[in-house]
Amino acid sequence: MTRLAVPLLGVLLSTVSLAPVAFAQSGPGGRALAPGVKVEVAPAPGSGTAPQPGKVDETALRYYARIGDVERLEAEIARLRALDPTWEPPKDLFAPQPTTAGVDESPFWALVSAGKIAEARAAVAEQRRQTPSWQPSANLLKELDLAEAAGRLRGASDTKRWQDVIDAAAAQPEAVACNRLDNAWRLAEAYAELKQTDRAFDTYKTIVSQCPSAKERRDTIFKASRHLSQAQIRELTALGATANPAAGEDYAAVRAAEAEIETGRLLERAGTARPGSLSASDLAQLERTIREKQDSGGALALGWYFQRQKKYAEAQGWFAEANGWSPSDQAAEGLILAYAGLGRKAEARAAAEPWRGKSSRVDQALKSVDPPRGGGGRPAGPQGPSELDQALARRDFAGCLTAIQRAISRSGPTVALVQQRGWCLLELKRPSEAEAAFVEAQALAAREPVRGQGAARNSVRGAAEAEGGMTRAQENAYGQAIARLSTGDTVGLTQDLARLNLTPAQKAEVRASLLSTEAGRALEDKRYHDVLRLLDARKELVPEPRNLGIMRGWALYNLQRVEEAYKLFKSIDDRLSTRESREAVETSWKTIYHDW
Amino acid sequence: MSGVSRFLRLSVLATALLTAGCGGWVRDNLTQSTTPWRRVQPTALPVSLPDNPQFPIVAARMRSTGAVYKSYSVVLGNPTALPGENRLTVDVQTLPDSLFGALVQPARVFPVPLYTLESLTRTLAAEFPDMTATVADAARRNRYGDYDYAIAQDEENTCVLAWQLITDRARMLPERIEAVRLEYRACGTSRNPRVLLQPFDGLVLILPETVLEADGLSGL
Repeated sequence: MTRLAVPLLGVLLSTVSLAPVAFAQSGPGGRALAPGVKVEVAPAPGSGTAPQPGKVDETALRYYARIGDVERLEAEIARLRALDPTWEPPKDLFAPQPTTAGVDESPFWALVSAGKIAEARAAVAEQRRQTPSWQPSANLLKELDLAEAAGRLRGASDTKRWQDVIDAAAAQPEAVACNRLDNAWRLAEAYAELKQTDRAFDTYKTIVSQCPSAKERRDTIFKASRHLSQAQIRELTALGATANPAAGEDYAAVRAAEAEIETGRLLERAGTARPGSLSASDLAQLERTIREKQDSGGALALGWYFQRQKKYAEAQGWFAEANGWSPSDQAAEGLILAYAGLGRKAEARAAAEPWRGKSSRVDQALKSVDPPRGGGGRPAGPQGPSELDQALARRDFAGCLTAIQRAISRSGPTVALVQQRGWCLLELKRPSEAEAAFVEAQALAAREPVRGQGAARNSVRGAAEAEGGMTRAQENAYGQAIARLSTGDTVGLTQDLARLNLTPAQKAEVRASLLSTEAGRALEDKRYHDVLRLLDARKELVPEPRNLGIMRGWALYNLQRVEEAYKLFKSIDDRLSTRESREAVETSWKTIYHDW
Repeated sequence: MSGVSRFLRLSVLATALLTAGCGGWVRDNLTQSTTPWRRVQPTALPVSLPDNPQFPIVAARMRSTGAVYKSYSVVLGNPTALPGENRLTVDVQTLPDSLFGALVQPARVFPVPLYTLESLTRTLAAEFPDMTATVADAARRNRYGDYDYAIAQDEENTCVLAWQLITDRARMLPERIEAVRLEYRACGTSRNPRVLLQPFDGLVLILPETVLEADGLSGL
C-alpha cells in the first residue's frame, strides 16, 4: 500500500448528533460533493471564524520538515492549503531556522509524533510552570485535543461502547477525517451496530466521496459490506468510483469492489452446498465473474459446490478450469473425484499423474478410483463403482466407515481396508482412532503374506506396494504420523521422526508441519525469535503459505522490526487481500506512522 | 591511591558480576504457558472408568499449564460413523506451592461457569453438527455430585455431553486440590442416553490424595 499521507481536505465531522452527514469541507463555501450527500461546513476548531490568509500556523510544518517526516509534512501542507487556498509552503522550509527567543516546541511535537500524548500534555504543563508567559501554539493544542479525542473514540470502539464512539466523534469532529480514516470507519461501524444504518451509510458515502485515495475508498466499501445491503453497496461503489476524482488515482479498483464482494458472498453461500442454495441467476453471475477473472480459487469452490450435489460433469468442468488457470494438487484432487463420480477412471488417473506420490491429497483421492477391495476375492472384469467408491467420490466419510465395516464383516479385514478406515477417521476428526487403525494395518501387513491374497490382486499391486511409489509400510507410518500431528503429539513425533519409515517427501512434509505447529506455539509464548528460527527452517523444506507469512510478519512486528513486517504484510495483501492481511497492513502502517 | 584503585577494581568487578549473562537473558514467560500434549498410559490417568466394550480407551494424553493445572484427555472408542472423538477430559487445579506461584498464576484453563447458554449452544453445534441437541432439564448425579448434560440425536445415533465442576474443598477435595473439572462426550448407537452416560456415572478419581465421594458425605 503506497499510502501517502492523505491531504486533510478540511474534512470535518460536524454536528454528528444533529446531522446524519458526517464530513464537511472546511474551506470557504464548502460544497455538496455528490448527489445525496449533504455537506455542512464547520470551521476547524481553533481556527477562528475563518482562516486568515497569511496567518496559518507553520509550527508543525517546520517541525516535520526538520525531522524529515515527509509523509506528515505532505499531510500538513495539504491541511494548511485547505485552510487557506492562497497559502504556499515557505521556500525556506528545509533551511535551518534561527533560534528564536521563547520556547522551542520541538520536544512537544516529538512526543505528539510518537503518540505520547499524556507525556506531551505533562511536558507542556511543566513548561508553562517554568515559563508562565509562554503560551503553546494553537496548532500544538489542537493536535493534542485531536489525539486525545481519537484515543477516546478508539477506546470506546474497542470495548464496543458504540454510543460513546458517536459522542466522542461529536465532541471532536476533526478526529474523524480522511487522514484519520480508521476513526471514520469506527464511527460508521458504531452507527451500524446501533442499527442506525442510514447514518452508517451516510458516513460511508461521505468517506468514499471525500477521501481521494482509491485504495481507501475500496477498503471502505469492503468494510461497509459487513453492514450494508447489496443495493447500498452498489450505490456506494458508484459514488466511490466517480465522486471527486483526484489526479493520479485510478478508481478502477473501486468499481470492481462491488463485484468482488458479491462474488465473495455467493461463494460463501456455495460453500453451504445445499442443493439450490444458489439461484440460477446467482450461479450464472458467479460463473461469469470467475471466468472473467480466471479465479482458480473460485473455480475450485464452484467445483466442490457441484461435486457435493453429485453433478459430476459440472464439477469436472470447474476443476479442469481451476487446474488450467493455476495447476494445483487441490484442483487435481477435485478432478480425480469428479471423474471417479462419472466413472471415467482412466481420465482420473491421468489427472493424478503429475501429483502422484507428491501430494497426499491426490494419493488419497486416487483411492476413489482404485479403492482397496475387501478380501481380495472379487472377480476381475467390468463392475460398477462399489459402495466405498461412491462414498469416497462424495467425500462422505461416515459412509466410508459404514462401507468398510460392511466389507470387513463380509470378508474380513485387509491392510488396504483398515488403512482406508484410518484415512476416513482422520477426515472425521477422529485422529486417535485413525492412528490405531494404521497400527492395526501395520500389524495386518506383517501377517498378510502369510495369509495370502488373491493372485489377481497381487499381480496388480503386490502386498508391499501401494500407490505413488510408497510401500504399504510407509503409508501406514505416514498415516500414523498425520494422526499424531492431529492429536497435538508434536514432542513425541519430533523424537520419533528420524526412525519412521517414510519417503523423503513424506518426512519433509511431516517435519514442515511440526515446525509450523512449533512456530505457532512459540508465537503464543511470545518467543518471537524462535518463531522466525522455526519458520526459516520450515521454509528450507517447503514454500511458506500465506498464513505462516502473516505469522512471520507478527513475529517481526513484535520484535520491533515493524518496517519489515509492513513490507511482508503488504506483499501478502497485494497478492490476495483478506481481512486478516488488511488488518495486518493497517496495524503495522499505523505503528510506523504513529497514526493511532 | 591504592584505596581508589581498589575501589575501581571492586566497581569493575561488581559491574561485571551484575551484568554477567545479560547477553543471554530472556524474558521468563514460559513458566505459565501450556506444554504440548504428551501420551500417557491409561494407568497414569487420575481417573478410572468402568469397563465398557462400546467405549474402550483408545489413547490417553496429558499436559500442564504452569505449576497449577494438569489436564488429561482420554479418547474413547466411537462405535458410530459420526465425526468427532468420544472423550473424557479431566482438569485438575492445584493450589500453588510457593508465594511466587500464588502471585503469578496462569489463566484458568476452563471457564467458570463452565458453560453459558450461548457457549453451550456453540459447543453443541460444533460437537454434534446436523443433530438435534437438547439440554437436560434435571441434573444427574455420579460419585462426585450433580452434573449437567445435553443430549443430541439424529435418526440413528445418540450423543451426550456431560460436564461437572468439583469444588467442595471443605469435604470432598484434598487440601492440595482447588478444583477438578470433568467433561465427557460420547456418541453411540443406543437410543437411551443413560447407556451412554454410564461411564461418566461410574468413573472414579484417583488422585494422590483421596477424593471423598459425595454420597459418602450425606451422613456426615
